Amino acid sequence: MNHKQRRLLTQVLATGVLLSLLGACTRLLPEYREALSLEAGFSQTTFEPVVGRTTMFSNVFVNPNNSSTYPIDFTIVNARRFSGEAAPELSDIFPVKVWKQAYTGNETSVAEIEAKRVTEYHNLFEVRKHSGDFVLWSSATSNLLRCQADSGYIFDVEMSNGGGRRYFRNMRLMPFRERPYEPSNLNAITGQSVANGIYPSTMIGVVGDSTNQVLSAADVDVFIRKSEEGKPGGNTISFMFLDKYFRPIDPAKFADTDWNNLLHGFNMTKTATRVTYDVAFPVPAVPLATRFTTADGRRATTSFAWSRLGYGGLRQEAEIGLNFAIYEPGNWEIVFAFKKDNPKFSND
Amino acid sequence: MTCNSRLLRQGIALMLLLLLGAISPLGLLAQERIKVEGVVTGKADKNPKPGVTISVGKKAIGTTDKNGAFTVMVEPGSTLTFTHSGFAAEKKVVTRATANLEIEMAQKDEAMQEIVVQGFKRATRETTTGSTVVISGKQLQDVPVSNVLELLQGKVAGVNIQNNSGSPGSMGTINIRGVSSAQVSSSGFLTPTSPLFVIDGVPVDLNTNYEYGFQGGGPGISPLALIPPEDIEQMEFLKDAAATSQYGSRGAYGVIIVTTKRGHSKVPIVSYSGSFFVNYAPPQRKVMGGNEERRSRINQILNYDTSYANALRLINATPFLSDSLNPYYNNSTDWQDLFFRTTQNQSHNINISGGDRTFNYKTNMNYYSEEGIMRNTGFKRYTLGMDALYQPTERFRMTTNLKGSMGQRNNGSGMGLEQVDIKKASNLSSLLSPAYYNDFNQAAAGSTVKDDNKSINISTSLDLQYEPIKGLRFSNLFTYNIITGNSSKFRPSFINNNIPEYYSYNDRTYTLYDRAAVNYIRSFGLHNLNAFVFNELSSYGFRANAMELSQTANDQIEGPVGYNWFRTKGGTLNNAKDTRIHGYGGSIEYNFDKKYVINLSYRLDGTSTNGPSTGYTHNPSVSARWNFNREKFAENWGWLDYGSIRSSWGKNIIPTGSIFDVFGTYRIGNNYNDDPTVYIDWGNIPNDAFKPQTKTKFNIATELGLFNNALNITAEAYYESTDNEVMDVELSNINGFAKIKSNARSMVNHGFELMAQVRVLPQGHPVQWTVSGNFGVVNNTLTRLPNNERQYIQPFTDADNSKLPLVYRLGKPTFSNQLYHTEGVYASTADVPVNPQTGLRMQAGRGTGVFFQGGDPIWTDINGDYVIDEQDMVSAGNPTPKVTGGFNSMVTWKNFTLTINGSFTLIRDVLNLPLARTFQNFYNPAAPNALVPISEYDIWMPGSDKTTGSLNAKYPNPFDFTRAGQINPYREAQTLFMEDGSYWKINSMTFKYNFNRNWTRRMGINSANLYITLNNVYTFSNYSGPDPELVTSLGRDISGGYPNRRSMALGANIQF
Repeated sequence: MNHKQRRLLTQVLATGVLLSLLGACTRLLPEYREALSLEAGFSQTTFEPVVGRTTMFSNVFVNPNNSSTYPIDFTIVNARRFSGEAAPELSDIFPVKVWKQAYTGNETSVAEIEAKRVTEYHNLFEVRKHSGDFVLWSSATSNLLRCQADSGYIFDVEMSNGGGRRYFRNMRLMPFRERPYEPSNLNAITGQSVANGIYPSTMIGVVGDSTNQVLSAADVDVFIRKSEEGKPGGNTISFMFLDKYFRPIDPAKFADTDWNNLLHGFNMTKTATRVTYDVAFPVPAVPLATRFTTADGRRATTSFAWSRLGYGGLRQEAEIGLNFAIYEPGNWEIVFAFKKDNPKFSND
Repeated sequence: MTCNSRLLRQGIALMLLLLLGAISPLGLLAQERIKVEGVVTGKADKNPKPGVTISVGKKAIGTTDKNGAFTVMVEPGSTLTFTHSGFAAEKKVVTRATANLEIEMAQKDEAMQEIVVQGFKRATRETTTGSTVVISGKQLQDVPVSNVLELLQGKVAGVNIQNNSGSPGSMGTINIRGVSSAQVSSSGFLTPTSPLFVIDGVPVDLNTNYEYGFQGGGPGISPLALIPPEDIEQMEFLKDAAATSQYGSRGAYGVIIVTTKRGHSKVPIVSYSGSFFVNYAPPQRKVMGGNEERRSRINQILNYDTSYANALRLINATPFLSDSLNPYYNNSTDWQDLFFRTTQNQSHNINISGGDRTFNYKTNMNYYSEEGIMRNTGFKRYTLGMDALYQPTERFRMTTNLKGSMGQRNNGSGMGLEQVDIKKASNLSSLLSPAYYNDFNQAAAGSTVKDDNKSINISTSLDLQYEPIKGLRFSNLFTYNIITGNSSKFRPSFINNNIPEYYSYNDRTYTLYDRAAVNYIRSFGLHNLNAFVFNELSSYGFRANAMELSQTANDQIEGPVGYNWFRTKGGTLNNAKDTRIHGYGGSIEYNFDKKYVINLSYRLDGTSTNGPSTGYTHNPSVSARWNFNREKFAENWGWLDYGSIRSSWGKNIIPTGSIFDVFGTYRIGNNYNDDPTVYIDWGNIPNDAFKPQTKTKFNIATELGLFNNALNITAEAYYESTDNEVMDVELSNINGFAKIKSNARSMVNHGFELMAQVRVLPQGHPVQWTVSGNFGVVNNTLTRLPNNERQYIQPFTDADNSKLPLVYRLGKPTFSNQLYHTEGVYASTADVPVNPQTGLRMQAGRGTGVFFQGGDPIWTDINGDYVIDEQDMVSAGNPTPKVTGGFNSMVTWKNFTLTINGSFTLIRDVLNLPLARTFQNFYNPAAPNALVPISEYDIWMPGSDKTTGSLNAKYPNPFDFTRAGQINPYREAQTLFMEDGSYWKINSMTFKYNFNRNWTRRMGINSANLYITLNNVYTFSNYSGPDPELVTSLGRDISGGYPNRRSMALGANIQF
């Protein structure tokens, strides 16, 4: 190696050292990783939905001050029965109805509503992939899942993002058996009825025919039941009114009722004993406030009204109504039974 | 002119003839010595050079007079050497024929011989190991500005200056090598990390008591605005650890040393610089006026109210829409025009200087007056500065300095960045009349509002040096700086809800600084040693008192009695401060034949805010330099004038926090047994390990001079880590205290800088053209958060009430904004995604029942829950500019000089908040605010059914006002308003003419020139907002801020 070469080598080496020094600098910096905070977690770890209806558990994942970086992936892992044995019913997939377009309450036929949802295959109990919301689909039944009084299921949730993963262990799913309608007179655990019926939600100005006494909601039993005479697989709701002898009252007597907009149903048929609508279940279809629902959108609201001339020629307005929800398809009958006294329709 | 100069030349020839005739007998008599006369002028500016030393060999035989002329007697054949500081020596051999010499001295090209200050010591650049950039004061002349900082933009690589307030007398932001803070004040401003300024030895820290965007009291005058740019000899930018090591106690953000001019002529020189300049406002945004605005509002209500009946009701209930013929509402007022104006201003500077090496003096007087382009704003500066140097022998030297300056400012309705009232007013509907609505703002009320703000700054310094033994030098520098600020405002009742209000404020800041040092220099052959030990003390205090008298008797009687004592407040503000810093340390520098230089330094610092268990902080630094052009192998490289590699590593601190962070806050409680009690405030737990902010810097650089100095390049790479930044850390709620101020945040800036200067045409060419340019690239990375967190989101509402959280993420740029990601606009309601479980459309906010529809913005639902809420915000953009730099071109031909300065800021994300607010004004058509001609924007227009509309619109439907409050489609925190804030700017253009010296001399003027300057000429940018520079450090465009004026100046420099 002559003098020149050595000098060249020194220069090359010096440059190399300089460059590597700078390179080393950036290597000191922490690598960016998505944050996975220890503060994040679930505010609810036991889920007690009622089977037979689509139940959402929203906003149960808490990420205080966005300390974990979205998007976060959630998966249910290791779902098992309380006894520890495998729970294939949670890992199998079942057909469920999924909305594809928004329900507005302005649809004009059952077909139009049905066109907005399609059938997909899902696990009965799912966690939403990025939000950590849980959902129990309406296809879940007490035949498929172990409902309370069984201790139900235990599962773990894996939370992961680019920053790593965390597990939330031993979260519990303890479903109740079906209560296909609300308000319900069924015991949450046994599914057996514990009361004769339910009461109407509104009773205004209803006067007993024989007593002339004002009737209260407790004087009327409402029965929500699947009709036995209907064709199987039907999607109807009928309204019937019974007097104190359990004889049908002609719905036409509720003359001030807005029959066409009573509920979001179609093809109304009105006979002397009942009024029937084709509907899309569940009713209400979605928790959206429409003209057919209560203000929170969770119950359909119905109102039957009439009026008569009272003493002194005053017009007496009367109204009986029910806010309800029905989750299970079928031919449903909603029966108002005036058990104490018949409502007065005649003028004084 | 030509006629004149011909006459002049003939006159001179005649005079010379006469002179020759006169001296010829002498020449015959004295054979040995001849008389040589001549003139020395500068090569670049053709100005005469007074004080040039003329020597033969080592013996000085004379100096030039104030006209640059000289007469010496020398022997023929000897060589005359002309030397002058800053200029290359010129040599001339005298022959018998030589009688008259015209010497042109060129500025010293040898960048290596430049004298720089590093670590309190002056040394040639060749033997310093740190990173220093010198900007000559010449580059800061001829552009009238209130704050010299504005002129430095784009001049130095890695120094990022943003003039984000055009308010005269205030200051923009300056950061050397990136932002070193992530701390954000509650009003939405980043804690400034301005470098330490040392003005003639007096340290001025701009970061304490800064009033950036501050709406409280105080005159709001930046201390830098009190320095007359005409008086600046040079500014030095100290960037790396080696250069700033000795300023360790406050030098973490870099140091800028400002040196004012000194006398260097035996004959006193009086020079005058003055300019007259016109400031005018940049173009304002377009707004709708009069009937167009009214129609727009009425149409909006008719089309989008919930029903026709509601629409009519709203219109009829809104008088300024329905009562259109009422003169009160029947207007078309251009509010912006009302507040902006074109102003005529002037500045004058007189500098008297003289003296020689043993004694010199300078007096500088400056007057600067600028009326703001916004009404009722302005700034005036009066300064008187004196300095003197006395050096009877080489061993003793005394320098004194005394400066007094006063700034007077009208703030209008706000302090700098914010012009609250004007913002409110210029956002008014054009339908309102200025005659009635001036009660919205004091700016419009003009002279009826008393608004007087003054800042008086007196600074003194005394530097004594004594060298009892050769090489051993004792020195002591003592400086004292006192700033008093006064502010008084009177708001008469008719503009202030019938409440006359008087506000009075005064503050006092003092800084005392003393440094004693011993310096020892010794050379052993080729080995040179320089050792240095120092002890440094500094004391700083600040106290502000304010008083607000409310409901004085009437608008004429402003007190002192008769006010409503219940509404009146006053006292000392809680930002009072009294701090001390003590530092001591030393350095050793060794160089071998100026080839290898090594420097070791160490200092210890104690500050008032160091926690008791922290003690003194230790700040070492190591640096070295290799001048490889002095190596043997480079001897034959003719193209290389100089070449060196230097590198440094070191630490600096800057005190942060207050003693309350260290020791807690004690308060006086109720009496117990008739004795007052004292208890500790449970807000912050005392932190006895509180540390100052520390910066660890590593720097490596190459300096090259090539091709006979036609090309000079400095390239630097650096890596700087800022540690121990204070952050509020919440404590567990089982602790009695809520928070701890913890030194928990760290960040790193690393980057690259390049400065280059090219002499385009060869030396000696009649046209001289120099082009220089520089840029700095900075990457900032967050490296530590408290509790080992990787992400931290700081929610805050900034001064404009917009909720724009910041996000800090490890491994990413120090901070970025947390925004909703806007993907476009829903063309129709059917496009809105539907929640498969519930059958509901995407919802704005959880549980609100407000669903998106056609014309609403598409925000990405990051977590997939079909609800747009805070969880869907993403971190977006980097508001810190990545590349900043500038360019400069100077062309000289004969007596003409054209200088162009430019700067650029690239790769930066800016949130265009004014645009968001412009659209937000459509949220309520019944509110009297300004509307822009919105059809110019690409907004969503509905079809016939209002649920479907234009495809691929950029901006959502602004008209749907009934839902606007809930959807807030034009919320600020969305990527729709994030834009690239890069810009290129022509800062100034100066065209200058130097009068012919012979011609001016006849009028007793040594030199004179005239110039025309255009300032803030033009900004090239793709940014759609008004000005990409009017942006806070957080990248937020400040609506209603003070726009940067443009100005045109005509000025003259005359030297007698």
